[in-house]
Amino acid sequence: MTELPKVRIRGLYKIFGETPEAMMPHVLAGMTKAELLAGHNHVLGLQDINVDIQPGEITVVMGLSGSGKSTLIRHLNRLIEPTVGEILLDGEDIMGLSQDELCRMRQTKMSMVFQKFALLPHRTVLQNAAMALEIRGTSLLPHKTVLENAMLVLKVSGHCGPESEAEARKWLARVGLEGFEDKYPHQLSGGMQQRVGIARALTSNSDIMLMDEAFSALDPLIRTDMQDLLLELQVELKKTIVFITHDLDEALKLADHLVILKDGAIVQQGEPQQILLNPADPYIEDFVSDINRARVLRVRSIMDNEITQNDFAQDLDAEDTLESVIAISGGDTRQSYRVLKDGQPVGQLDMKDLVKALVPRAASGERPVV
Amino acid sequence: MAFYDGVFDALGLREWCDGTSAEGPMTMEQLLAQARGEESTAVETELVPFPSLDNLHAACGEIPRTREMTSGVENLFLSVKDGLKLVLDPLTQPLSWMLEGTLYVFTAAPWWLVIPVLLWLTWYVSRSRGVTVFVAFSFFFLAFIDHYDAAIQTLAIIFVCTGLCVLFGVPVGILMSKNNTVQRMIIPVLDLLQTLPSFVYLIPLIFLFSVTEPKLYGIAIILYAIVPVIRLTDLGIRLVDKDVIEAANAFGMSGRQKLFGVEIPLALPNIMAGVNQTIMMSLAMVVIASLVSAPGLGVLVLRGIRNLELGVGLVAGLGIVLLAVILDRASKAALARVNAIHETH
Repeated sequence: MTELPKVRIRGLYKIFGETPEAMMPHVLAGMTKAELLAGHNHVLGLQDINVDIQPGEITVVMGLSGSGKSTLIRHLNRLIEPTVGEILLDGEDIMGLSQDELCRMRQTKMSMVFQKFALLPHRTVLQNAAMALEIRGTSLLPHKTVLENAMLVLKVSGHCGPESEAEARKWLARVGLEGFEDKYPHQLSGGMQQRVGIARALTSNSDIMLMDEAFSALDPLIRTDMQDLLLELQVELKKTIVFITHDLDEALKLADHLVILKDGAIVQQGEPQQILLNPADPYIEDFVSDINRARVLRVRSIMDNEITQNDFAQDLDAEDTLESVIAISGGDTRQSYRVLKDGQPVGQLDMKDLVKALVPRAASGERPVV
Repeated sequence: MAFYDGVFDALGLREWCDGTSAEGPMTMEQLLAQARGEESTAVETELVPFPSLDNLHAACGEIPRTREMTSGVENLFLSVKDGLKLVLDPLTQPLSWMLEGTLYVFTAAPWWLVIPVLLWLTWYVSRSRGVTVFVAFSFFFLAFIDHYDAAIQTLAIIFVCTGLCVLFGVPVGILMSKNNTVQRMIIPVLDLLQTLPSFVYLIPLIFLFSVTEPKLYGIAIILYAIVPVIRLTDLGIRLVDKDVIEAANAFGMSGRQKLFGVEIPLALPNIMAGVNQTIMMSLAMVVIASLVSAPGLGVLVLRGIRNLELGVGLVAGLGIVLLAVILDRASKAALARVNAIHETH
């Protein structure tokens, strides 16, 4: 974590209601969400959010409905204004941006993918994908002449220039939609529409991609496809992605950094494997207890960092999942394995440790295992 | 002895009441009685008359009568009339020119030019062979029964008035959709325009402008017919999918880009439905407008009523119905075409 975070959220609070500022002292004094709603008719959306979003990583914000995750992601591009707090993008507070600067920031630095796709129904797939570039192209700019700006006012819809069209075609092909450029969104299936949504975000060529429950509306098989597509793109593009989901399996699959929200507050954040192995409170324990741990946990998370023996059955990669290790061992718990990372030995794994790791562990004290 | 004498005596207002006993205008009752050649003897039939202006006046001369109130309203209107006219006359003059010009073009152009142009226009907006054939049939029928001139005049008036309704109505609707305060202010005005009996529009207009001016009926038609296009533009823009608007915001669209690139295109089906209603309403008003010199089929209907020429009135009425059906079908076909493009999910 030597790099500067791409986005830092510092002390962010959001209160919905008539006079949110007046409610801040109550919240700071420790009033809960329920008390604030009952006593003052204000909704505490987010409280004391501090997150560092690292460049090139997928930061997943997970929580149940009403936990404030969609509110949180909308703060990053100021679709929702915070009550208190700062959001630093590359070190600059975006709260200080004027309306024009904000528009330009949204056009160039952040793109967004939506749960309900939110494509323009009256534009073709190609025009939708080229939307970001077209917006940039038809924005009024101070350095252009009055005449050019006047022409832009008249040029309002649909027609995109050859460069943005080429760019849009490229990304549509990349997400597997070649040949669908001239269709309208309603002619495509949900999964394909979301591919357009992703192509639209990629065409804007912004560093940051905000994905708001992007795959939640898709059926499970398509969802897995889309997750794989995203991971595949991420290897190549190294975007800074903020991904919102209510699905822990999805969160664990995608996350480099996992943030778990409950009632507008962060319960735990960190590396997903660590959260799984060391849940901070009963809420998260409950959450992680249903997970197929063998598929999610990786060798690196449970291995012994010191090599104390030299009688190994086989070598494993640090990124192997426990599931694959079990398959290799054939169920024999007496084995030990040497763990390699980039070809170098980094530790050892005893099968007994592996089996223990498969059982959810209480965060504090002893919890009887059912 | 009037019923309420005692009240004024008790309040000690007798002196004020009898201060000046100048004779005002007569009450309607007195006027009618005079016309019948009777003595004006106000007979109180009711035990306790309602304390209306007339009844109170009987007891106290200082209280104005209802006729004085209505003439007060009249005088108020007449006193602002000149000032109003000074402002409104030049502002609305282009409307007169437009109506005169369009009527001239439509009537001066020969039928073998006008009908094909109208058919092409129908085809252009509707792209429906059925509608175009129907329009062709209707026009040849109207021309065949020698109602072509009247029908084309009515059509010219409708074109100008609905055109202006769209020109003014759509921006007002957009403004309303963007601003709740504006919406709250304009909705009562729209309600008023919609519920006011159509004849009542004409009364102040007749005083303001001369009856021979085309703008008189132009304004009446526009005021009456502009309501649906405003309402449906407002509604249409408010109904645009919030998710799509959010996406537009998230990609940094400015207000102008959102309006022209997203909101108006997506509200178009509703706006078109409003235009359809506006056309229908201006057609309804065009008959009444004949009372104030609007040419067209309405004149024939009016002649039918005035001279009890049953056949003339009925056939002209039928012609109006035929025009209504033509305009409705053509605009509905255009609407369906827009809907097909905008069909979502």
